[in-house]
Amino acid sequence: MRHLRYLVAAVAIAVFPLVSPNPYFINLAQDAAIVAIGAIGLNILLGLSGQLSLGQAGFLALGAYGSGVLSTNHGWPLWATLPVSLLLSAVAGGVIGLVALRTRTHYLAMVTLAFGYIVEILSQRWVGITGGSMGLIGVPQLNFGDFGNGATYFFWAVAAALLLVQMMNDYVMRSRFGRSLHAIKESESFALTVGIDAARWRSLVFVVSAVTAGLSGFFFAHQAGYVSSDAFGLDRSIALLIAVVIGGLGSAYGPLLGAVILVMLNQLTAGLYEVSFYIFGGILLVVMLFFPAGAVGAVQRLFRRRSSAVPSSADVPAKSAQPTSATVPAAASASPSDAPILELHEVTKSYSGVVAVSAVSLKVMPGTVHAVIGPNGAGKSTLINVISGLYQPDSGTIRFLGRDITRLKPHRRANLGLTRTFQNLQLIGTLTVAENVMLGLQRGRSFVPGWLHWLVSDSEERADRAEATRLLRYFNIERLADSLPGDLPYGHRKLCELARALAQNPTMLFLDEPIAGLNEGEALDIMAKIRGLKALGVTVLLVEHNMSFVMELSDTVTVLDYGRKIGEGAPAVVKRDPVVIAAYLGTEDA
Amino acid sequence: MKSADLVQLLISGIAMGSIYTLMGKGLLITFLTTRALNFGQGDFLMIASFLSMTLLLAGVPVIVAVLIVVAVLVVLGVGLERLAIRPLASMTAGSASSLAWILTTMGFGMLLQNTAQLVWGKSRFYSPPLFSAKQKEVVEMMGARFYLEELIVAVLAMVVVAVLYWFLFRARWGKEVQAVSFDKATASLLGIDVRRVVATSYAIMAVLAAVSGILAGPLTTVQAHMGLLFILKGFAVVCIGGFVNPVGILIAGLGFGIVEAVSNYINSAFGDLYPFLIALLFLIARPSGLFGEMKTDVR
Repeated sequence: MRHLRYLVAAVAIAVFPLVSPNPYFINLAQDAAIVAIGAIGLNILLGLSGQLSLGQAGFLALGAYGSGVLSTNHGWPLWATLPVSLLLSAVAGGVIGLVALRTRTHYLAMVTLAFGYIVEILSQRWVGITGGSMGLIGVPQLNFGDFGNGATYFFWAVAAALLLVQMMNDYVMRSRFGRSLHAIKESESFALTVGIDAARWRSLVFVVSAVTAGLSGFFFAHQAGYVSSDAFGLDRSIALLIAVVIGGLGSAYGPLLGAVILVMLNQLTAGLYEVSFYIFGGILLVVMLFFPAGAVGAVQRLFRRRSSAVPSSADVPAKSAQPTSATVPAAASASPSDAPILELHEVTKSYSGVVAVSAVSLKVMPGTVHAVIGPNGAGKSTLINVISGLYQPDSGTIRFLGRDITRLKPHRRANLGLTRTFQNLQLIGTLTVAENVMLGLQRGRSFVPGWLHWLVSDSEERADRAEATRLLRYFNIERLADSLPGDLPYGHRKLCELARALAQNPTMLFLDEPIAGLNEGEALDIMAKIRGLKALGVTVLLVEHNMSFVMELSDTVTVLDYGRKIGEGAPAVVKRDPVVIAAYLGTEDA
Repeated sequence: MKSADLVQLLISGIAMGSIYTLMGKGLLITFLTTRALNFGQGDFLMIASFLSMTLLLAGVPVIVAVLIVVAVLVVLGVGLERLAIRPLASMTAGSASSLAWILTTMGFGMLLQNTAQLVWGKSRFYSPPLFSAKQKEVVEMMGARFYLEELIVAVLAMVVVAVLYWFLFRARWGKEVQAVSFDKATASLLGIDVRRVVATSYAIMAVLAAVSGILAGPLTTVQAHMGLLFILKGFAVVCIGGFVNPVGILIAGLGFGIVEAVSNYINSAFGDLYPFLIALLFLIARPSGLFGEMKTDVR
């Protein structure tokens, strides 16, 4: 059974306090669970979305004081203070998350550091509320009214919470949520073009990490019945980071393992207080320099040597037969009509004075292959970036399927069926080929229903995987499904990106130099695939330098030069246009 | 507030602010060459403060003491680069690589803190004044009273800032830094010894930390964990100034110092809170600082 481990864990949690030789071990296990809850959230934030927080102790403090103050000074029951705790830290996380949208790595480190520091000062000096470093005394303990067995009850509560958090974490790691976060971490513009609302995800992840820290703080407050502001300094934030890093950044069980290791280390070094900074500073250095994948990575390296079956580059995909109906991806069939599917009107884009695209108007008819050509610097890539929404045009309008999308965010355009590939491939290096393709399948339930469904069945994930496999088979690279993109030769990576674009079920596909760097056999293969897509009703907009490829494949060709449109028409017409020849094609040998 | 008080506050603010500026410059210089900041730079400052205090108390002449402190710090700076920064470049693009430097430099700083704790203990110390005869020598000028020490600190820090500016924008080495900052591979194709430029930038970071540590010693209490506040403030300053512009950092540094002095005067309990709140709000409004830096990453 798939969830056997959760059952085992639940049983272990139930039994542990009963068989534990003395309360000391129960107490250690409590500590580990409290740390692990916070570490899991930090791991999602840092390991998956790549956002560093040096202020987790601030969220922890909010959770601890929120519940601690209400229950101690105002007599609230703990079941009522818990939601308040979580809400408090969630709100703070949301605010920091919003800041995170506008800042990046080192600025974000600064913002979170300052946040943590501000909370620390407030808890130290706002003595009337927090008790300062003397502490909030007489905080009710979480013992369900049974003081004698309080430690056991507390352990059960905190461990159950940990199990729940771990189960949610596992769902994130194994579903589109985790994949999307990987994508956001590696390239935000790429994430947008597969339809991921990167901004929303990034700030939500902050809320998630803040809530787990708040939950951790809640338990912390009710563990010993005493909360002092000394507990919420920078060292607490660092300790959480250390737990995540020792365990293995980005891995599902790293934070849990790291928390256990940290608590054990704390015990072992309790007598070595004089050199504790040596120990923890040394751990940071040694782990980051020699074991960047942490304990989980080290264990994996011992037991499972990843056999990456790397195909040689001579292993070119065989020229595939025309797609049969069984292997063809299901494409959105655009209704044939005379109205253009994409219409640009007088679009202009300049970069600090340099006009890259100047008043370009363009009509792409549905079901056609439309090429945009022109010399380097003609504005082709800018045009694609403007259409896909990564750049905002200075003036002009863009209409897609009759709708004005000029001001629409890139991820919304992607969700309308505007799909693209990149001139410099965009594949997520930390995900396998199949997972990269699955990134294109941005569908499925929202988090809580998805999680509940996942607990009973992984049909959703299997369906996505089957779909990805089907697409890879279409490109004859099914056997590479479990390789990492970095291990693939260039041609296969291009195919992988195409498969991902198809997974997005495009109405319209932009291909930015699809055959640049490919050999002739591969190029012919791509040409056949593009024809197959056209037959399915997908409209293709193509930027490419290879003229024979463009002329053979396109229905319409638009020629740009210095950002202006200088010619347009059927390939045969454009080829003879003297203006075009002068600007770009040159004499016969072109 | 009397105007005389105001002048005194201004001078105190500028004195501390110029130290934050030096910290900010140190962060900037390694950021330019390696896209990494030394999160242990505050601990570098702390070591410098302790060392200069010890040497001065032992009767070593100021000049000699300064030279020794600078030499020790340069060794630390180059060692940091060798130990905690350079190896990261060869690490494969894993899940941690882009942020690993935060943790390694922080780890290095923790080693320094522990060392200081073992050598000098956990107490707070008062460093002897560098320039004035006694601890709090007061100067009167146009009715305003302020500490001589603070005035000299501010002036000296400005001199260092000017020298660094000249170094970065007028000397050949500065051009090399700009080239390395733009693109390491291209720089090395142009015949620039990238490793040397990087190592030098860490040495300069260390010199700046040494100077700020020596100057800060008499203005504050010296203890093993004093670095945190300085790195926080230096960091805030460089973020507000923006990661490209030394002038922005100067403005931000002095501004931070003055706001801090005024804020502490108005509210002694929470005075140190407001500068950070202001810095935070400023970064929300202008995420890439006074003069900006952000580039879109469209490939």
